[in-house]
Amino acid sequence: MSDPVLVIGAGVAGLTVAVELADSGVETVLVDRETSVGGNALNLYKAFPTDDCFYCFESNRSRPGIRKCFYRSALLDQPNIDLRVDTEIEEIKGEPGSFEIRLKQGPQYVDSKKCTMCGACTKLSDAFSLLSPQCQPQSVIFNPEKEDEGSSKAEEECPTGAIDLNAESSETTLTASDIVIATGYQEMKPNQVDEYGYGQYSNVITQLELAKILDPNGPSHGALVRPSDGAQVRRLLMVQCVGSRDENYHPFCSKICCVFALKHANIIRRERNGTDVSVVYMDIRTYDRHERYYREAREAGVEFTRGRVSEVNPLEDGTLDITLYDSLLDKYFKTNVDLLVLSSALEPSTGMTKMIEELGLESASGYVSPANLLDTEVVAGDHVYACGGAIGPAEVPESVTQARAVASKILQERMR
Amino acid sequence: MAKTEEKTVPPVTLVDPIELSELDRDFREEIHNMPNGEELGACFACSTCTAACPIANSWDYKPHQLIRMILLGMREKVLASDEIWLCLTCFECQERCPQNVRVTDILFDCKNLAAEEGRIPPNVAELGKELVEQGQLYVITADWEREDLGLEPSLPGLQTEGVQNMLKESRTGRLLEEED
Repeated sequence: MSDPVLVIGAGVAGLTVAVELADSGVETVLVDRETSVGGNALNLYKAFPTDDCFYCFESNRSRPGIRKCFYRSALLDQPNIDLRVDTEIEEIKGEPGSFEIRLKQGPQYVDSKKCTMCGACTKLSDAFSLLSPQCQPQSVIFNPEKEDEGSSKAEEECPTGAIDLNAESSETTLTASDIVIATGYQEMKPNQVDEYGYGQYSNVITQLELAKILDPNGPSHGALVRPSDGAQVRRLLMVQCVGSRDENYHPFCSKICCVFALKHANIIRRERNGTDVSVVYMDIRTYDRHERYYREAREAGVEFTRGRVSEVNPLEDGTLDITLYDSLLDKYFKTNVDLLVLSSALEPSTGMTKMIEELGLESASGYVSPANLLDTEVVAGDHVYACGGAIGPAEVPESVTQARAVASKILQERMR
Repeated sequence: MAKTEEKTVPPVTLVDPIELSELDRDFREEIHNMPNGEELGACFACSTCTAACPIANSWDYKPHQLIRMILLGMREKVLASDEIWLCLTCFECQERCPQNVRVTDILFDCKNLAAEEGRIPPNVAELGKELVEQGQLYVITADWEREDLGLEPSLPGLQTEGVQNMLKESRTGRLLEEED
């Protein structure tokens, strides 16, 4: 029996690789440092291009006997997948084909196999919470920093005995035949781009933060409200290319921010009545078939200004006075908005540089670069593959396609 | 305890911005609802219209800027502009527009709106009067050129009364009367 394949990152790409390989009889260790799989997609509310919940992209593919969502059921029911959440890669050694990997898993205070999400512990203590109704493994999580008097009571009274507050972190080592880097991207926190006041003014947010506000499962139940005081948002301004295509931050185009900004603009115009949306842009780059989002946005009455923001001034009532320059008219405009949403650059996940170094890979603006630019983009090195956001910002279908390419490559390699 | 006054003064700029809320935000709808405005909102400011225009070089506001101003609600500036009257109506902009915005026709709509408000440039009004009074813009007169070519002194069978009457009874007549 060969060694298992290590898949790092359990977002869209990582989940797909793991499920495809496992279904083909290959043992897979799927690792994620978060407590739930899903990655960024967990927070997207609706994902383009179908504006669906991302989990369902593959759910309509028939799996005999299973009528639940494809990936979630596969994670639970597929014996070839060893899922380890809250786990970080400490060190990678060894030779291509037999990597030695040291993993560190955080304390598993709640046994996800026993947890029934009855909610008893969350009532007793604030330290227990449910990350998302879609979280996977389906389990509450415990935050030791918020431990209070109710915590130990919750431990005692847990009907399934799933809680162990004395749990400790553990280290394991394993040998893997191949490594798949599916660590995805993260949204840059644009604190440094000081003309926008992100981090200083609470009504200046990023697109991912907006997605959480729009999410019916979020704290405002989908109502478009200001973070500062929960008041209804009447005017909203988006700024594109914050920190991307900018030599001071990230020189590359983050590729998908135009599309998801327009997706949000359309949701707001069509489903959150009475809110005006303006978009300030340098170019709108709706590549491929996504041009329809741009066309729909214009039809829905979203206003577009080609130019940049000059300055942002917060007023006492929580609104923001914004001066912007319209480069098409060569004029300055002033407007007042409730919410300023920054389409911030998408950057490689924390730790990517270290991993690229340890595995001796090539870097492309911090993301994993293909080993051979003329060959497939998913082969990063000898027995090392990368897919999804790890090789650059990508939409969900692209990540799935790349992930399947990785699975295919590994299977071909094994059949030699 | 000593009092400290913390002042957050906005940075001084020399920019004098146009207040968006003071513009006529209904202007966009007004044009949109006119016969040629259906695709107005489709404009993505590529400026193909300006590239196509044979005379925009001498305009203060280029065609794509006029469309942009309509979208922003700069009603006053658009309807008072010379440009809408200077348009040659060659339809190059409209032919080339990648989003099917009827640029030339929208400028016609703007001219109609401006005319309704009594903003007809004197030279255009003069031509209008000529048309209403003569029933034609270029009156044929007997001259040596026609004689040399063996043509009759006037166009045989030319009747302009019908045109005159129609124009007098129509909006053109009314607008020109208001103009006086």
